[in-house]
Amino acid sequence: MANVLRNSAKFGFSGVLSQLSIHSRHGRECVSPCFSLQQRNNSTSPKIKVDLDSSTGVAVLRMQSPPVNSLSLDFLTEFCINLEKLEMDRSCRGLIITSTLSKVFSAGLDIMEMYGKSPERCGEFWKAVQEMWLKLYGSNMATIAAINGSSPAGGCLMSLGCDYRIMADNPRYSIGLNETQLGIVAPFWFKDTLVNTVGNRAAELSLELGLLYSAPDALKIGLVDQLVPEDQVLSTAQDTMSKWLAVPDHARQITKSMMRKPTIDKLLSNREADITNFVSFITKDSIQKSLRMYLEMLKSRKA
Amino acid sequence: MANVLRNSAKFGFSGVLSQLSIHSRHGRECVSPCFSLQQRNNSTSPKIKVDLDSSTGVAVLRMQSPPVNSLSLDFLTEFCINLEKLEMDRSCRGLIITSTLSKVFSAGLDIMEMYGKSPERCGEFWKAVQEMWLKLYGSNMVTMAAINGSSPAGGCLMSLGCDYRIMADNPRYSIGLNETQLGIVAPFWFKDTLVNTVGNRAAELSLELGLLYSAPDALKIGLVDQLVPEDQVLSTAQDTMSKWLAVPDHARQIDQCVISVCIYYINTSPLPPDHARQIDQCVISVCI
Repeated sequence: MANVLRNSAKFGFSGVLSQLSIHSRHGRECVSPCFSLQQRNNSTSPKIKVDLDSSTGVAVLRMQSPPVNSLSLDFLTEFCINLEKLEMDRSCRGLIITSTLSKVFSAGLDIMEMYGKSPERCGEFWKAVQEMWLKLYGSNMATIAAINGSSPAGGCLMSLGCDYRIMADNPRYSIGLNETQLGIVAPFWFKDTLVNTVGNRAAELSLELGLLYSAPDALKIGLVDQLVPEDQVLSTAQDTMSKWLAVPDHARQITKSMMRKPTIDKLLSNREADITNFVSFITKDSIQKSLRMYLEMLKSRKA
Repeated sequence: MANVLRNSAKFGFSGVLSQLSIHSRHGRECVSPCFSLQQRNNSTSPKIKVDLDSSTGVAVLRMQSPPVNSLSLDFLTEFCINLEKLEMDRSCRGLIITSTLSKVFSAGLDIMEMYGKSPERCGEFWKAVQEMWLKLYGSNMVTMAAINGSSPAGGCLMSLGCDYRIMADNPRYSIGLNETQLGIVAPFWFKDTLVNTVGNRAAELSLELGLLYSAPDALKIGLVDQLVPEDQVLSTAQDTMSKWLAVPDHARQIDQCVISVCIYYINTSPLPPDHARQIDQCVISVCI
């Protein structure tokens, strides 16, 4: 408890703080699969850092929201704002997404956005999750995920939204849509994105079992496209990006849109219903209880 | 220039002639990816030669339109006429498509059909491209592509229209839908055919980057089904064909119909009259 209070003081945080533990489980670096706790801090330091090289037309978006780049409402809002800016910037043709945090790309949706929140607030959060995917999956830019750490659930979704996925060749890093492990269900558009990438059978198996794949296994099933040593993930992404940008933009963009539009339209035409479904599901007593138990489990791990 | 004029005389051609170069690029035989220039010649030599063995029921269609079997309006028209003849010939159950030209199966759509032509003429050409795919992809015959050379874009589409693809095991030969490399976009039905063959992810990557795969890589992603030494491509196709023809025709054809119908419904366009008739025929012949 004293430890917790000390940390609270450190981060200018009042109230109970649960720190996420990056613990080893089956020899893998697990970053609290599916959800994570984001420290509530009042700091205005940006959760995302973007560097656009106008000469190459390539932007690098670095997620820097400790401890695990949780997708909170704030984070997602910042993410979308940055994406929109880059999308409208004619000098930006390609985007690489990576993490500054050791061992983790993104641990996924911030559980605190779903626990003990009003239905309205949950709906606002879910809309932001949808927006992140819509903007990323439908982006005109060539997008590459430089996955330099573990990436469960929402983190996996983010990487699946990109055109190409390069991951660190470290069997201790894992990636996958593991919602069912926590008693939740990945929405249909998570499923669609996964099917589009690994095929129907692999997606069915993956989603029903809530599988987290080690980097080598992820490559085997085509969840990621390439494995490289960890210190080469970003540079490989840069090299790969030049290949993508060598293709005439309009041809590549029209082709990408032709491939992805049906999937995107499915969510667009069902957006409100999807939010309603999520809110009624997540606010159920039984689900809130699961979330509470999960939070307790995290706390006890830390203590 | 003298060389060009000499060649013009040789092929009875007036006007500027651009010869296609089969050049090496990254160690691969590239045949002017995506498009090629067909020599305009007045010769009436057929661009396509068909041999039907009535005892086996297998036809071999040889593309012999130098330099690179470009899909011109004439070529496509000849192709479709031949296909229709075979389709209506009750003794013909299987079709193998191959090339007589060294190093190339087909270099794809003839660029001269698209450059400096009237909109009407372009429309006529495109209709012929559609017709080739419709007739081939929807054929009742067992169809095999014996790919004995490089096959970019339109050539790749033609091979994808077949039931099975056997390619020469030569890393210098390449195959793929490389339209975007030339700033063009493969139409949705090219995309559909590719997705049906290699899956959505591979198709997305392939189309966006306009990838040309070496024969070994094409095998890896399932763009082709089998690699054999170049001198065995046709014989392997013949052997494989016998296996396919061992399947009762009706069952195989109905499956094909069902699959084709699904594709049409997905595209929500009215069923072309031909196809409606074929499906009716399938259903009727099964009932009988």
